[in-house]
Amino acid sequence: MDDNVVIKLSGITKRYGYGDTTSYALKDFDLEVKRGEFIMIMGPSGCGKTTLLNIIGLLDRATEGEYILNGEDVSDISSARQARLRARKIGFIFQDFNLIQNLTVIENVALPLVYVNRPRTVRLKAASNALGRFHLSEREYYRPSQLSGGQKQRVAIARAIVSDPEIILADEPTGNLDSRSSNIVMEELKAIHEEGNTIIMVTHNPALTVYATRVINMLDGQIDTDIKTVADHNLPQPIYIKAKRRRARKGFKKGLLDVNAF
Amino acid sequence: MSMLFRTHLRLARASVKQNRTRSFLTCLGIAIGIASIILILSLTGSISNLIKGEVKDIGSDLVVVRPSRSKDAVTSFVEELTMASTFEKSSLSLLDVSSISAVEGVTAVAPIAISTNTLMNDENTIPSATILGTTPDFNTIEPLALKYGVFLNEKNTDSAVVIGHDLALHLYNTSNPIGRTLSFYGRRFIVVGVLDEIEEAVNFDNVNFNNVLFMDINTMENLMDSVQIQQINVRVLNTSILEPVADNIYKTLKENRYGDTNFSVAYGDAITHPASNLLNVISGMLALVAGISLVVGGIGVMNIMLVSVSERTYEIGIRKAVGASAYNVLMQFMFEALILSTLGSILGIFLGYFLAFLVSTVTPFGPYISWEIIAITVVTTVGVGLIFGTYPALKAARKKPIDSLRHYQ
Repeated sequence: MDDNVVIKLSGITKRYGYGDTTSYALKDFDLEVKRGEFIMIMGPSGCGKTTLLNIIGLLDRATEGEYILNGEDVSDISSARQARLRARKIGFIFQDFNLIQNLTVIENVALPLVYVNRPRTVRLKAASNALGRFHLSEREYYRPSQLSGGQKQRVAIARAIVSDPEIILADEPTGNLDSRSSNIVMEELKAIHEEGNTIIMVTHNPALTVYATRVINMLDGQIDTDIKTVADHNLPQPIYIKAKRRRARKGFKKGLLDVNAF
Repeated sequence: MSMLFRTHLRLARASVKQNRTRSFLTCLGIAIGIASIILILSLTGSISNLIKGEVKDIGSDLVVVRPSRSKDAVTSFVEELTMASTFEKSSLSLLDVSSISAVEGVTAVAPIAISTNTLMNDENTIPSATILGTTPDFNTIEPLALKYGVFLNEKNTDSAVVIGHDLALHLYNTSNPIGRTLSFYGRRFIVVGVLDEIEEAVNFDNVNFNNVLFMDINTMENLMDSVQIQQINVRVLNTSILEPVADNIYKTLKENRYGDTNFSVAYGDAITHPASNLLNVISGMLALVAGISLVVGGIGVMNIMLVSVSERTYEIGIRKAVGASAYNVLMQFMFEALILSTLGSILGIFLGYFLAFLVSTVTPFGPYISWEIIAITVVTTVGVGLIFGTYPALKAARKKPIDSLRHYQ
């Protein structure tokens, strides 16, 4: 199997109800996601986009079918193992931000690290770094209710990437935002993607597909169209190599370093 | 692991702090339960210490013989507690008293035979007064302070009686009735002595000396044909020979009844045993009743935890989405319940001892604090926290992340 395949779904079916009331959110759904892809999933309401995202994010289980995450069959794993994978491999961004109101911004961002047993100082440091990336350093000790929508969503993105996950799942991250904030959030996502992260995002807004490398249109629980918008970018490297390269390039531009060293 | 432990602790603390009033009221429920248990245990503890102290005052060279059945059944335990044996034919006799007197090392023997009868004089009638038949040795073993007159002695045995302070007042309307007469058993007796008022009415003879009439046991037997000896108090020469003398008394009495052992010989702390046993049972019962209030407090904790869980469904959903396992969520809420009950118990310990202290200002004994009582409360508290915290915590842990996220904040 291709090493670059992060997610492989085959024959995924999600059924609700019994007997005459049976309805399918997903029907015999197949999908392969390569490392470094930025996938946008579009489609009318009720076509199974969110269900798909929840199944990929191990928040929900498929009724039938096989799900291979990073070469590991996770179709029938225990809920404890699901939780562990969620903590280590998956970052979530939601439409309504889903920040805990009682916690400060920095504590919210550090939350995933609590469940991978990092010491408090390490957690806060990582969270602070992540917030710094999104220009929210001065807001670290604010409460979520004191932030604007765009800021909240950037906090949520910081939380999603704080534990260096394999894939980032975003469920209409711009759904509750005005166009200006939407653009900022999308630019941030783009930046994360350019560092080599795999992103799967559900959206209703066709204008946003310009950011994607691949656009999937869903209809009635199945793939309607699947279009590659951009060439494969040749992106499938872990983040740190990309980052190193970027730093090197900057250094080279300033005439400090020899690019051939990398 | 320890990292998560600390995180849970911090979270729980934050949550308790956030709902201050609610947390305080919940703690108060636990605190009242714990306080009543502490109060009861502390009071009964000091009473039983009082009795033990009294025996110590009288002397450690004391042996007490009591009638009992052969120790085989629960009934004997109950009898011992309820003094039911008082109404039964005692297994001790005057023969035993004289045999004990003959045992080497014994310096004084005082049987206690209790009977009730109506006392009459020209002014008053006291129905069913307690009459205690004993020997002049009684005063050697348990020196009684006399207010007026003398105690029973060899010369006045035939018709003399000594009465308690309260009884004197009731019979003669004066505390000094020396030389006056009264009649019971169809005979006339002269009061030769009146006891001083005794504050500590509880003692190892199980008799309230303020209300008792002392008379000679032989006279008592002559009048009644038989006496019920409830107890024989024996003083030995010195403490070092206490044990062998007690053994000898045991052997002598066993020989008297051809090997039957329907009596008990006690010395040292064991003397207070019946009284302490009774006290222990009573305090146990009371503590059990107080335990009910603790259960009510525990239900309060459970109730608040359930509220907290449903209030925070959304938060649980977020936590689960970012990687909390069911176990993590379970622990978070368990810690919260434990903190609530622990805070409650700390409050309760202080409250309980404060109340015990208040009560002790009107009683002759001080509050009794022991590590056992504290240990009992700590264990109960943790138990209450665990028992009543489990269900809400399980409920939180079992929530499905998607459903919880959909739950409106």
